[in-house]
Amino acid sequence: MLGAAAWSGSVVTEAQAQMRNQNGADHHRGGGGGGGGGGGGAQATDPGVRGGPPGAGGPLPGLSAPELAFFKAATDVFTEVEAVPNGLGPRFNLDSCAGCHAGPAVGGSSPATNPEVADATANGATNTVPSFITTNGPTREARFVRNPDGTPDGGVHDLFVITGRADAQGCNIQQPNFAAALAANNVIFRIPTPVFGLGLVEAVPDSGLQAAAGTVAQQAGSLGIASGVFNTSGNDGTITRFGWKAQNKSLLIFAGEAYNVEEGVTNDAFPNERETNPNCQFNPLPESTSNFTDATNGASPVAGFSQDIVNFAAFMRFLAPPTPASGTSPAAQSTSMTSTAANSASMTGGTVQVASAGGTSVLSAVSGTSSNSAAPAASGASTSRGAQVFSNIGCAACHVQNQTTGKAVITGISNETFQPFSDFALHQMGTGLADGVSQGAANGTQFRSAPLWGVGQRLFFLHDGRTSDLVQAIEQHSSNGSEANGVIRNFNMLSVSDQQAVLNFLRSL
Amino acid sequence: MRRAPAVCAGILMAGGIMGWFAWRHDAAILLRGIMASADGRPENGKVAEGRYKNDYFGLSYRLPPEWTVGEAGPDPSQSAYYVLSTLVPEGEPNATIMIAAQDMFFVGEGHAGAADQARDFQRALSTVAGMTIDPDVAEIKVGDHAFYRVNYHGVGLYRSMVAAEIRCHIVSFNVTARDSALVASLVHAFDRDISFAPTGGASAPPCAEDYADSDNVLHRVLPVPVGPRFVPIPVRIIVGPDGSVTNVHVIHATDDQRRSIETALYQWKLKPYRVGGRASPVETGLLFKFRGDS
Repeated sequence: MLGAAAWSGSVVTEAQAQMRNQNGADHHRGGGGGGGGGGGGAQATDPGVRGGPPGAGGPLPGLSAPELAFFKAATDVFTEVEAVPNGLGPRFNLDSCAGCHAGPAVGGSSPATNPEVADATANGATNTVPSFITTNGPTREARFVRNPDGTPDGGVHDLFVITGRADAQGCNIQQPNFAAALAANNVIFRIPTPVFGLGLVEAVPDSGLQAAAGTVAQQAGSLGIASGVFNTSGNDGTITRFGWKAQNKSLLIFAGEAYNVEEGVTNDAFPNERETNPNCQFNPLPESTSNFTDATNGASPVAGFSQDIVNFAAFMRFLAPPTPASGTSPAAQSTSMTSTAANSASMTGGTVQVASAGGTSVLSAVSGTSSNSAAPAASGASTSRGAQVFSNIGCAACHVQNQTTGKAVITGISNETFQPFSDFALHQMGTGLADGVSQGAANGTQFRSAPLWGVGQRLFFLHDGRTSDLVQAIEQHSSNGSEANGVIRNFNMLSVSDQQAVLNFLRSL
Repeated sequence: MRRAPAVCAGILMAGGIMGWFAWRHDAAILLRGIMASADGRPENGKVAEGRYKNDYFGLSYRLPPEWTVGEAGPDPSQSAYYVLSTLVPEGEPNATIMIAAQDMFFVGEGHAGAADQARDFQRALSTVAGMTIDPDVAEIKVGDHAFYRVNYHGVGLYRSMVAAEIRCHIVSFNVTARDSALVASLVHAFDRDISFAPTGGASAPPCAEDYADSDNVLHRVLPVPVGPRFVPIPVRIIVGPDGSVTNVHVIHATDDQRRSIETALYQWKLKPYRVGGRASPVETGLLFKFRGDS
């Protein structure tokens, strides 16, 4: 015989309170999302991008003087605008790392104004802006799911070509036919992943990631979530952790691939042009290499001697994680690895111009992205409650709050616990989010749990930037085949005030 | 998880190709007498005519009145975790029942069974913010089967995990609702609404965790390495009384990997498994991992 109602008396009290809530104005979300009022209204709503200065963009605290000099020099390189003589193209999505990794500060994700629109015709280029690229939409790359013969593709098909540019005379290649790809339902999109705090992520040993997954495995199993499924390197079998599908092994590989794929700049990690039309080859390969002399003669000789991708990797490694809203989140109170406000401000001020050896800085063009729709941080009580609800309903079974570094070369980050809100593992996300693209061990339905640090100042959500509404981003986690279905059902069964608390908590990160 | 005995590494080197590893657990776990299909698959259960039926586990569950099936769960994972079904009310979405299974051959360190699993679950949940867990793990009898129940609640949601060990899997019913009375009534009805295939039907083979180790394999054909390297591929096989492999279930793999492993395993020959001195079919597990040699 099964037990009867077995909860303790204190539970009944909470149940009664809950019933009172339900009988009052505190209704629940039915499952389809939608708009409504705030905490006291019919439905919970995204409080919007958190206002105030960017909570990211500065260096890790405690860096040594040479490390800090390297970070500053590497920031210059990260913000360079490339031209064809520097290696841009023949095919590319943008001409600068910092153009896409821009909001709310250099190193982030899509800015409010999409620079791809202007880049389409920069310097005389004659590109047509694809329909999925808009001025107020996210910066995107496009991938084709299948080749014309039906075999899997999955690769990036760059938006633009250098044809028509003043520095690319004689090149006459054409853009991919995106209209046809769209009509054939054969194109998917990715937006930039923020690179804040990635030195910490890189410094977590595989055993640390596995241990963190183990802490939530039991709760995950009660929710339909398979924990601890990691993407792995086909070369050495270790866990890979960067990119939307955790397909990249290291920040250096990440930088090298992006430099070639997104900007068309070949380098020592990816030394071959993807577009081989002989009329569009203007440089010896690879186009970015180690320097035999330090032409910059700046404060960081290591930056001057290193090729660009080493500088990019250094920028990412030394970049501090986003700082949560002050005093509103338990995560903020326990976070030790965040940059100081002064650091952030100095590196991300809206009009800062950074001189660089290879091109013009775009810092001034990409900063200040969150001010238009800035919202104040919610109350501390609500975000604290939201943190508890977030964990209790199972969000934290994938968006694992804490990770811990091992011994690290970078000063001050060894054996540190930080809060990325990700297990860096793969999860099946269902038909609603599936992109049909396999990368490494990740299949067409699997994605890495996106780290949620910095979500408070993010403009676009999910891998393709399909929404700017946190509520929609949450609800889109649920569809046939998704491991998140159980968690989303829990979210939808919450009181409106608890749903709102979750949203407020997320916007505090 | 532990690596297979040294003989597997020897075969790896002798094979001289991309290679594979196999893992196993030391402790054999046997479960006899469950009446279930010998060749079904856990993920093939479905809801029809108001019942969730799973031939592999010999399990049938009559849905509560005016309940239906919810969103489909994910495919079986590389850790051999299954979301078997999700059940929801047809009206207001104020409760849910998620039926899941974890293959005990692939849980890492392993555990002694559903009772220990329930206590592990209880301990783990106690670390979750705002969660209150009932101190007792209640044992529940459903037919001949022992289920173990953990009640817990927090943030206005009441939950119960009810789990049993079936065919070397932990099968769990995970109930969530907005009020405790509803959860209690749903769980209370399990002993009436859950049933197992009647005695006298086709019996599932016993399961033995480590039976495909080197000592028992008489003839082995290595699968051709294809697809992503270093990715664990859990596989269940049924070995017939004559030692031939009669059923291969590649739980999570790419299509190419699945074909490669099935082709190889159907050529294996093992020592016949014996129960009371008589040859018997047996179900066991293997974990493959294709290695990328440079």
